[in-house]
Amino acid sequence: MKGLPTITLILIGLLCALFIYVAEDIPVFGDPNSPPIKYVKLFSIDADALEDPLNRGVIPNNLMDEFERRGFPGPSRVEKVTGMEGEWNTFVSKEEMHYSKEEKYYWIKKEGDKLRVYRYAFVVRWIEKGQEETGTPNMVTYGLADYRGYDTLGETAVIFTAGVSVILLLRRRGRL
Amino acid sequence: MKGKEAERSIIVETVSRVMIPFIQLFSLYVIIHGASGPGGGFQGGVVFGSSFVLYVVVFDIIGGRKRLPESVNTVLSSLGLYIYAGLGLLCIILSSGVAQYLNYGFLPFTPHFEENRALSIEFVEMGIGITVMAIMVSIFFDLAWKEKNRKGREK
Repeated sequence: MKGLPTITLILIGLLCALFIYVAEDIPVFGDPNSPPIKYVKLFSIDADALEDPLNRGVIPNNLMDEFERRGFPGPSRVEKVTGMEGEWNTFVSKEEMHYSKEEKYYWIKKEGDKLRVYRYAFVVRWIEKGQEETGTPNMVTYGLADYRGYDTLGETAVIFTAGVSVILLLRRRGRL
Repeated sequence: MKGKEAERSIIVETVSRVMIPFIQLFSLYVIIHGASGPGGGFQGGVVFGSSFVLYVVVFDIIGGRKRLPESVNTVLSSLGLYIYAGLGLLCIILSSGVAQYLNYGFLPFTPHFEENRALSIEFVEMGIGITVMAIMVSIFFDLAWKEKNRKGREK
């Protein structure tokens, strides 16, 4: 028992260090291009002779093979990001009832003599396609009630359970 | 001891008599405008429940219970959750074999998939609002009753 304050102090110090370490990794607030908000890096590939077909809207065969080798879904269409040189959006076709038939999936960027392939985060679809898919202008509301409907149903159930528990514990008048 | 009541202020009573309907109206505004502005079911429900809390604080708890009886309160607290989960169940039935739980687009309100989702979001928000309001009020009344009962037994 004597060493307890010392151990606690050491643990608090470690926890503080952990928090500082984590806070260092948080991206700048409001940066629309920060990795957690926009994309995840998948792989990079040599850029030689790939740039021209991409600019013409054709997916080169060895890029396609690379996607298949790594087990990612193969893209169906590619187009240049408007106003940017050396950046391409790649679309993947999907078979979902009532939804758009293709999704903006990969983001290819030329860095040096390599092509970096990124996967767009879900947030990108949330922001760009949300209003068109749900017909609701408020981003928070369609997130809460539609995309994350299961989550909200669970939250409401939690509130309901809390109320019923209070009724069972405190109400002692023989009737509900 | 019995005749000793807390002093009642005529100013507070009059002001809250005027305020309570507007608080309730504002909470309905918050719920209805959840889809197009800031707001939603949780916030609107809590504001609506707070109007009952104000009534009980200013007037008396017996009158508050008469305004919102226990039976109605209990039914309302589960009704909101029923609306929410029931919409999801309707989606399963109406999506005919695809089993899309909580995919509101399959509900036949309008011929358009997106507008069905927009409309159903409103219903879901109302369900959340009803449950949150009823549970808030229910918890408040239970805590407040307990206090009175204990005092009565000590006497």
